Parts: sequence; structure tokens; C-alpha cells
Amino acid sequence: MIARLYRPLVTGLLPVALIACMNSPPSSAEPGAAAPLGIDLGGSGPVIASAQPALSARVIHVEADAASPRHSDIQMAHAGHNDAHGTGTVNSVDPAQHKVNLSHNPIPEIGWPAMTMEFPVAPSIDLTAIKPGTRVNFTIEQQPGGMYEIRAITPAGARQ
Amino acid sequence: MVPCPPLTRRRFMQGAAAAGALALIPSPLRRAFAAPAPVLSGTEFALEIGSVPLALNGRQATATGVNGQVPAPILRWREGDTVTLAVTNRLSEPSSIHWHGVRTPSPMDGVPGLSFRGIAPGETFVYRFPVHQSGTYWYHSHSMFQEQTGLYGAIVITPKAGYAQAFDRDYVVLLSDWSFESPETIVSNLKFQSNYYNYGQRTIGTFMADAQHAGLADTVADRLEWGKMRMSPTDILDVSGATYTYLINGQPPGANWTALFRPGERVRLRFINGSSMSIFDVRIDGLPMTVVQADGNDIVPVTVDQFRISVAETYDVIVQPTADRAYTMFAQAEDRTGYARGTLAPRPGMAAAIPPMDPRPMRTMADMGMAGMEHGEMPGMELSPEGKRLEGKVGVDNVAMMPADRLQSAGEGFLSGSRVLTYADLRALKPGSDPRPPTHEITLHLTGNMERFIWGFDGKKFSEAGPIELKRGDRVRFVLINDTMMEHPIHLHGLWSELENGHGEYRPYKHTINVKPGERLSYLVTADAPGRWAFHCHLLYHMETGMFREVHVA
Amino acid sequence: MSARIILAATLFTFAAPASAETPAANAEPTFGMEPGAMPPVMDQAIFAHAIFNQLEGRWNGSNPEFRWDGQGWIGTDYDKLWIKSEGTLSKGALDDGQQQFLYSRAVTTYFDLQGGLRSDLDSRPTRNWAAFGVQGLAPYFFDLEVTGFVSGEGHLAGKLEASYDLLLTQRLILQPQIELNLYSKSDPARLVGAGFSDIDTGLRLRYELDRKFAPYIGVVYQGKFGQTANFARQAGESTSDVRFVFGIRTWF
Repeated sequence: MIARLYRPLVTGLLPVALIACMNSPPSSAEPGAAAPLGIDLGGSGPVIASAQPALSARVIHVEADAASPRHSDIQMAHAGHNDAHGTGTVNSVDPAQHKVNLSHNPIPEIGWPAMTMEFPVAPSIDLTAIKPGTRVNFTIEQQPGGMYEIRAITPAGARQ
Repeated sequence: MVPCPPLTRRRFMQGAAAAGALALIPSPLRRAFAAPAPVLSGTEFALEIGSVPLALNGRQATATGVNGQVPAPILRWREGDTVTLAVTNRLSEPSSIHWHGVRTPSPMDGVPGLSFRGIAPGETFVYRFPVHQSGTYWYHSHSMFQEQTGLYGAIVITPKAGYAQAFDRDYVVLLSDWSFESPETIVSNLKFQSNYYNYGQRTIGTFMADAQHAGLADTVADRLEWGKMRMSPTDILDVSGATYTYLINGQPPGANWTALFRPGERVRLRFINGSSMSIFDVRIDGLPMTVVQADGNDIVPVTVDQFRISVAETYDVIVQPTADRAYTMFAQAEDRTGYARGTLAPRPGMAAAIPPMDPRPMRTMADMGMAGMEHGEMPGMELSPEGKRLEGKVGVDNVAMMPADRLQSAGEGFLSGSRVLTYADLRALKPGSDPRPPTHEITLHLTGNMERFIWGFDGKKFSEAGPIELKRGDRVRFVLINDTMMEHPIHLHGLWSELENGHGEYRPYKHTINVKPGERLSYLVTADAPGRWAFHCHLLYHMETGMFREVHVA
Repeated sequence: MSARIILAATLFTFAAPASAETPAANAEPTFGMEPGAMPPVMDQAIFAHAIFNQLEGRWNGSNPEFRWDGQGWIGTDYDKLWIKSEGTLSKGALDDGQQQFLYSRAVTTYFDLQGGLRSDLDSRPTRNWAAFGVQGLAPYFFDLEVTGFVSGEGHLAGKLEASYDLLLTQRLILQPQIELNLYSKSDPARLVGAGFSDIDTGLRLRYELDRKFAPYIGVVYQGKFGQTANFARQAGESTSDVRFVFGIRTWF
């Protein structure tokens, strides 16, 4: 009978020995104890033969935009451009503030319904061609702080 | 310490197979031999849920553990196997275990009240299900607050066909949060004073600092704007480092949990956020991370310096440290009130510098769903009809005026100059298995009342709403609109959530989707598994105060 | 007797909307689960808390007073039973005692509707009133309580309480606070006159050793107006009193 128990006993003890060999992290950290070590689950072994896509690492850069007055040094991280395109009609232009009030169509790219609202316009854009009543195509981009700014605005052809 | 032969993978697998056999030895005999085993492998498992004494930084507590351990043992399964887990409850209250992200038949999903009756004290419930997926997952109690008191552990499922990327070492990095206050006390405190744990509030001091920076008029206008809404932009996490110690594989930062490597090796790190209420920003200074899996599913590898991992999410990364030095694994809580920390080192006993925590982020008008509207101007904007219905209800403190697509944004609180993972970066390695477009949409508003600490969907708590009904085989789009100013990791049991992030049929398959404040996102679901599935915010105290629904696939 | 009718009527008014918004019963469970099985989340839990906003000694150089002003509630997110108590111990007698027992119903995001009974219990003759009012957080983070009262004889009274927490640091908080009482009819036995009767307002600076335990110092002004002032003068009491206070703000 002992002979019959012998094999399962030994097979049973082998994992115990191996487990005891693994430096198991204690469930508590006693002061002065050695740093608990992680359990290495092993390597991957042979990988799938199918050609893996080359590590096409898409590099995302956090843009260092001008500090928003409310947020000191904290900026929102952007992954490339956050822009959307729309069409609309100009209601009024404020050259002093460099702002434009538009009634625009829905912008599905960012989930906006049709709205009437005021946008700040990027400083480099010339607003003299934009008159109230003009139909325009425009591109807006979200700034840190959340506001959308017009990056491009052009009259939408002959249609009025 | 016992001198050990180098633990090669082959030897380990031998031991693992034998350990499986060990599990079949009758219980009393097995207990005589078994030391607490931190990794359990095979197809037959015996898990015992019970009270476990815990000592953290010299302080004692009683935690809820499995087989005497917190975190619970790592379970290693193989794709294609059928696993049997006999779970015995030695607590004096009902318990349960849910296999997070693992698709099981509904009665095996482990949610008391939906899947089964729960595991009564003294009872043993036998879970048995086939494993048809691979990757990194985790398991935790779905009963009351046992997840907070320690009942969580990792699941690693080896792929049948092999891995898509090679690596030489493999470590589970399970992040969690621990409090010496009882979870019942925590939620009770929040019900009376919802900013109880927020020691980063606005003060006279911050007012003066802002006024110096931005001018008095702007600062006053800003304070009035937030005051009118009765909200604070300093609300980042409901429960903070004021009560939490953040843990890495159950170890506090001072314990220096270490993962060993040989310089030049590729190390796979399976990051799991097994916390109850904490969102972590993870980075390893000096070591870029190549993210290869999200929520257990392969993605096109993307190299980043940092990623934000919300509650219940998993990210598998591969790093390749080449220098003979230690690296600090740094997981800071989103509100910068604490961090979990581990070390990657060539030898035990090494440590690298721990970076200071980044400055605390602040919520913005974009988080209120009002991007582009400064100083209360709302030029001709109107709430949607559903928004109007929600406004003013007891369970709703805000309705996002203009919920936006924020998948391209990593979130707030990241400093310039680092590459941070965004949801827009997740591109599945394989195209999706269901090419059909959705036949209908289900829109849900994520709502809450911070002041009363009530959370729900569409202004309603679980007890106030009925199930969401789907028919078997349905292809449906879930649209989530976050009307609150906090992140909510939304988890759908039993079915994959295919996040629509611009990658078409290569959209990522996720089980937990972190919806940012003021965000509107959507995902496709194929209702291919019948049953009553839980659908909830995975922030434990949000779930328990109402942010829960049943999705019934008939 | 009529006070009881008023009380019953008030409670009934609030009980009605409560049942109208009873949460929908869960659908019949399937997959072999018995009805009455535990739900996956218990979001109708009952919580209970009590707070002492004022628990203080008041000094003006001559006769010190002791004052308390506290509230407590027990209930769910929507329905709570509320108790409010205040009183001043002065020269060995209990003055300005007002105790309220209310049913409170959450009606909007930030406000509760309350109704119940107020009992003026102190060393002077007891008065009972039916009470109804609102309590909550007003815009700009002002804590507000506005309550109206009707006595058995049809006399009316009103009470306004407001306070604001100004954070100097994360733990050092300055709290201006005001309480105003008005009555439609004089009550000489209680030294209360018609119209705006009295004001009790203070500025308290507390240090939160713990969220639940904060010692404070401050200064309070107690003023009496109109007829109330006359009654006070006749009884040899002051009509305008500035006192230094030291106390504990605590909740559990």
C-alpha cells in the first residue's frame, strides 16, 4: 500500500518544493524584511509565426500650449490634433476681440448639434473677408482649458 | 532561504502541472503539505474565502482573503481548458467571486442576485466553465464591499496558439487600494460629507495664488462660476490617500516589491487595476513601455511613457531594460494623494529614486460638458430633451451641455513632454468577429449627485430602474454620455464592448471603458451570450449607491 | 388638539409623494432564482448621522452661557426622519429651546422638503407648532434652512438659518452663521414679541483635527428686536449681547 502511495506523494511534493523555491511575497510587509520579490511566470516561448506588425509605435506628444489662466502648469495631453470641421453662417464679427459668432450645422466628429455660438479665432487668421451673412467652412481645434478655437475659416463658394 | 535551481519555464510548468494534481489530493492531506501558494495552475482549483490578518506598515487589520492571502492567488489557466473552481466561503456573511473579463455562462459569472444566489457562509460553490480566450484578467468578490477588504487576484490565461510578442519574463502587477477604515464607514462618511476625503480643496490661499497668476477679476469670475453650480473643480477621486494606502501586489510603497530581470531581457508586465476607487497614472522613469494588450486583448503595439489605468482595466506592457540598474515602477493616484511603487531590478535589494508626485489636476469646464463656454456664457445653447428631463432631479447635479468626443485626450494631470496612452491609440491586432453594423442604439447618461453621493444612470439608481433588454444575436450600439465631472469605468459583464475609436473593424475589444467627465463615447456589443448580465460603474462606492443596471439577453 | 390635526395633515402631505415615487419592484427573477433573493447592489441602504454645529460656552464677562445647536437624521437617500435641537443654558435656566421632529423628503438636487412638529421646550411655558420648510445647499455653497410654523391657535412663526464655510486652509475654516426668528403674535410668557424677534449670528473659526471633531473659537451677537426687545428690557435682560465663544463642532 505504501508503494502505491509513494508515487502520488512524490509527485505531490515536487510542486511543494518548487513552490517553496519561489520567493513568494508575504501578504504583509514587516519592517526590516527583505524586499518581496515578484513571481516570474516565465517567458513567452515560441511566438506566433505570422509576421507581427513592426512595432508601429504611434508616438503621442503632449503639446506644451500656452498656460491657461486657470490651470498654471497643468496641461491637457493631446494625441496629435483634436480638430473638427463644420459649415455655418456668420452672424457677427468682433475684430477687436478677434472673435466670430456663427450659426453652424451639426458637427458629428465631436458630437455637436446645430448651434449658434461665439468662437475665438486663431491670431494668424485675417477676418476682413468674413462678413455677417457669409456662409463659411471652418476648422476648429480644442485648446487646453476646453475651448474650441477657429483655426481656419473660408467663405463657402458662391452659395449664399 | 532555500537555495533554488534556476526556475526555467519548463521546470515551472512541470511543477504547475503537478500542483494541479496536488489539488486533487483529499483536502486534509493537502492542507498538511500546502504552503500558501501565490500561483495556482491547472484545471482544478480549491479556493477558500476567509478572514485574513493583514499587517501594513506596522498596523494590523483583518482583510478578506483567498487561501489565506491578500491579494488572492494568481490563477493560471490555458485557453481551451475547462476549469473547475470549488469556492468555499468561510466568512460569516455571503460571498461570491466574479471572473472579471472572462466570458463564462451566466450562472458562472458570480454576481449574487443575477447569476446565482451567492455563496452562503460555510457553503462551497463549484464554478465550471470552458476558457475560450487568453490574456490578463482578474477576479474579485461581487458581494458588498469584500473587494475593498482584499478579495481580488489576477488571472493569467496562456494563449493556445502562442504569444504575439516574445518576452523573457512575466510579472503580474496588481494595483489596489487599502483603507484601515471599514468600507461601510467610508460610504457613510461620503453620504454625510461628500468631500470628506478631499484635502485638496480651494482655499483663501489658492484664491490668492490664482489671483496673482490670472488677475483678480478672472479669479472671482471663476469662483462664482463654480459656486453657482455648487461644484468643486478639485473633485478628482472620491476616496483619496487621506485614508488609502496604495498597494502593488499587496505591498505598500515602502516594502519595495521587486521584479527581477537580466539586462537586455524583455519583461512583460501585466498591469491590473484591482482597486475599488483609484485611478492610477503609471510610468517607469527611464523605461518606455510598449503596450501590447488592453483588457486581455491584443492591440497593435504602441510605445508610451505613461498610461492612465482606470479601475478594473488591464494593460499588458513589454519593457526592455538594458542597463544594469534598478527602475522604479510608479503608479500615482490621479488626485496625487499617494502612489503605489515597485522596482524592476537585476538583483534583489536594489531601488531607484522615487519621483515626486505630479501636481494635482483640476477639473475644467470641458469636464462639465461645457467646453468653450467661459464665464457662464451660453450663446443660444439648449439641453437635449433627455437632458432637460434629467436636470434638477434628486440624483442629478449636472447635465453636460455639450458632451464631447474626448478619446484623443489622455485626460488631465499629465505634464508636457511625455507620451501618454489614449483610447484613440488602441487598435486591435485582428479585425472584429462581427462585421454587422448596429441595428439600434441604447443611450445612457452617467449621472450623479455629488452632494448627496447618489450615482446612477439616467438619474436613476438600480432599484429605481428596470433591466436593459437585448435579444440574443442583437448587434447594438451603447452610447454613454457622462454628465458628471468624474471618470467612470463602465463594465459590462458577459459581452465584449467594442469601443468605437476611429479604427473601424480594428476597434478594440474591452470589458471596462473609462468614460471621462463630459465625454460622449460609443461602443458596439454583440449580444451573443444569454443571461442576466451586470452593467455598472466599477468604482465600488458608486456601484453600491446605485450606478448599476442589469442587461438581460434573452 | 388642533395642533395634532395640523401635524397629521402636514405629515400626510409628505407621505403622499413618497409613495408615488416608490422605486419600481424588480422584475420577476429568472434562471431559477427565488423572489426575494438578495439584489446585486443594496442602493436603498439606511444611513444615520448627527452633528453638533454649536456646542459652546459663551462669555461676555459677566454670566457665561452654554449653547447647543445640533441635528440628526436617519433614513435613505429620499426619505429621512430628522431631529433638530437647540437651546441655551443661562443662569441655571434653559432658554431658547427649540426641538423639531421632521420627516424630510429629497425633492431637488440640493433641497429637501421637511414637515413635522416643533416643540419649544425649555424653562418657559412649552409651545407646540406644526413645522414645514426646506433645507439644503443654496448656490455659492450657502447652507440654508427656512422653516415656517403654525401653532394650534393659528399663530405663525418663521425661522431662517444660514451658514457658509470659508476655507482658510484645508483644516482651518471660518464659518459665518446666522439664525433669525419671527413670530406673527406676541407671546409674553416666552418673552417673544410679534415681528422680527431675535437674531443669533456668529463668526466661528474651527480647526478640523479630524473631519468629525473640530474645536473652534468665535464671536457671537445675540440681538432682540421690537416687542421682543421690550419684553427683554422689562425682564431685566439685555437686548444686544456680544459674546466670545469656545466650543466643539463634531459629528458622527
